[in-house]
Order: sequence, then structure tokens, then C-alpha cells
Amino acid sequence: MSIRHGILALLRGGPRYGYQLRVEFEASTAATWPLNIGQVYTTLSRLERDGLVTPAGADEQGRALYAITETGRVELERWFATPVAQSDRPRDELAIKIAMAVAGADVDVGAVIHTQRTATMRTLQALTRAKRAADGLAQRLVLDGLIFKAEAEQRWLDHCEAVSKASKEKNT
Amino acid sequence: MTVVRLREVTREHGQVRALRGVSLEVSAGELVAVMGPSGSGKSTLLNLAGGLDRPTSGNVEIEGRDLAGVPDLAALRRRSVGYVFQDLNLIPSLTAAENVMLPRELDGVRSRQARTEAMTALAEAGAEEIAGRFPEELSGGQRQRVAIARALAGERRLLLADEPTGALDTATGDEILRLLRSRCDDAGAAVLLVTHEPRYAAWADRVVYLRDGLIAESGSVRLESAR
Repeated sequence: MSIRHGILALLRGGPRYGYQLRVEFEASTAATWPLNIGQVYTTLSRLERDGLVTPAGADEQGRALYAITETGRVELERWFATPVAQSDRPRDELAIKIAMAVAGADVDVGAVIHTQRTATMRTLQALTRAKRAADGLAQRLVLDGLIFKAEAEQRWLDHCEAVSKASKEKNT
Repeated sequence: MTVVRLREVTREHGQVRALRGVSLEVSAGELVAVMGPSGSGKSTLLNLAGGLDRPTSGNVEIEGRDLAGVPDLAALRRRSVGYVFQDLNLIPSLTAAENVMLPRELDGVRSRQARTEAMTALAEAGAEEIAGRFPEELSGGQRQRVAIARALAGERRLLLADEPTGALDTATGDEILRLLRSRCDDAGAAVLLVTHEPRYAAWADRVVYLRDGLIAESGSVRLESAR
């Protein structure tokens, strides 16, 4: 899972303490997935249990440091080498909603699509604004990823509208 | 300040009603994107907003002047309106700087003055170093930078862009939108952008959707606290 591997990836750059991992994780993902400090420590103790990280003493201020192990490095390489499966995503509520709107005789499909399109464009505008303000490359690329996804949804909605309109015209 | 205003504009081509009553305003410093499927009237809207075409009914004002009362639309276009298209933008036998100077010189501005304005516009568009190059020596993104400089050289404050990112990859397309955005934010230009790509429309303050010659209701997506 991504938090586990995100932490391993950060530790590859050298030993770090819990709070530092949280800050760096959020910075490099443009705060897209906020972490609470509890999640960081829970994840660290599981990684330690699995032999992927090991305690590495304390810094001059007494904060407990963690380091990646050799097993951890192997696991991280495996993760980077493995593509993310499309089927790992949760059920798509929007696809279900559009399908139900098209199947139902008394639903204004165009209106459903337009409402969604307006909302998706707001998201896209907010992401673009965040991208303009972002100064790190990693942050910008994470935001670009979200922008491409929102754009794909927008294109799919246009496609749904065109196809359902054409099919309606054919049937009348 | 409103730079361009369309009021209940219709445009018929024979039996075809390309626009069926569209009202739209773009203010100084504002970037407005127009989206819609092919045949929805996007290009007709842009041509009317820039005085390249006249409406069948309704009116169009540029900087407070009703275009119906302007006998020489070409002169008004040269002074007030800049265009950027997907391609066919630059004259191949002229350098980047000469391309930017041309509309100003046609308008009677002296060559030295036109060159000074061109260099300023090119610098603002991040294209200062390529001023002496010919279009064929430039990348697609650089050509669009020059086209944007030309569109805004002199006193022009209205820029009409028809798919300006059409032939560009997404990273270069983003740079062009960043430039258009900065011309709005820093120079107070008004930009009306036609695009079919949501990622570029998202740079706008407002996005309007055209459907069958009408602006789709509730479709005006205004970016909260844009400025």
C-alpha cells in the first residue's frame, strides 16, 4: 500500500523520525493525501515487525530515528517495478449513476451529465490553481496526475452526452 | 471594466442558426474559456466577438463601442483585437520581431516605434531571445509565444484565442496557458479562449459551455475568489 511504500521511499534517502516522514510525504504529494502522525507510527511499527525498517538511534534532540533495511530496499524496488492494477480502484459511483440515468425512462440524462461536468470543472480549476502555486516538481506531477484523471472524466461525460443524444434522436 | 460585451447575439447562415441568442462579457484581467462540441457555435462566437463577422441580431461592443456603428471594422480590429489560432499564425518570410511589428506598421505606427513595442511584447511573452529568428526555426510553443506577443503589442487589450494549444504537447500547452494567464493577471488583458480540452479551460476564471448555439444554463463555472 502507498503509505508503507511512501515511507520506505523516503527512508531510502537516509534515517528519519516520524514527524519528519509525515511532513516530507505531504510535501512531495502536494498534500493530496494528508497523513496523521498516528498513521505514520502505526505504519512504522508494522514495517519494523516485517523487517523492512529498523530503529536507528536518536538525533541530537532525542527523536527516535528509523532506517530502511536491505529487505526494505528489495521490497521498495519490487513496488516501483510493479504496475498498479486498474481493478484496485473502488466501484465507480459516477459510472453507476450515468448508467442508471440512461436506463431510466424519466431521467434527464443531459442534466445529470451537465451537473457533473460543472462539478468536475470546478475540481479541475482548483487543481490548476494549486498547480500554479506549487513550486516542487513532485508536487506538480502529482497534481498533473489528478488533472489528467479529472480531464478523462470530463471527456467521458462529453462522450456520454453525444452518444446518448444521438441514440435518442435515432429512436424518435 | 468590460472589454467585450455580446448582447442577445444571433447569427444565421442561411437556414442554419449558428448562435441563437448569446450574452457574454469579458472584463479586463479576465480569462474566459468557451467549450462545446463541434458545431456548437464556438468559432462563430469568437468571430463575432472580434468583429470578423457581424451578428444577424443583437449587438457586440468592444471597449464600449457598438460594432454596428463602426464603418471600418478592419481598423478597429488592428487597434483593439489580437488573434491567436492553432496554426497559420506567422508569416514565414518575416522574423519573429517583424511578425509582431507588422500589424502596428499597417496601422501607421513608425517602424522604430513598432520595433520597440515588438521587443517589449516579445519580452513579456518570454520570447526575447528568438526575436531575430524565422518561424521555421522555432518550435510550436515558441511560435505561439510570438503569436501572443503580436496579438498584444501596442494598446490591444482583447485577445481571442481559437484552440491555441491544438498542435502542442500538454507540457507546452500548459506553458501557453501560463503565459495567457499572466497577460491577464499582470497586463490586464481580456482573453476569450475557445478550447475543447478541459485541462486548458481549467486555467480560466469562467468556463461557459455552448450547446446548439446557446450557453448551457448553470454551466457558467466561476472560480471562487479568483482574484
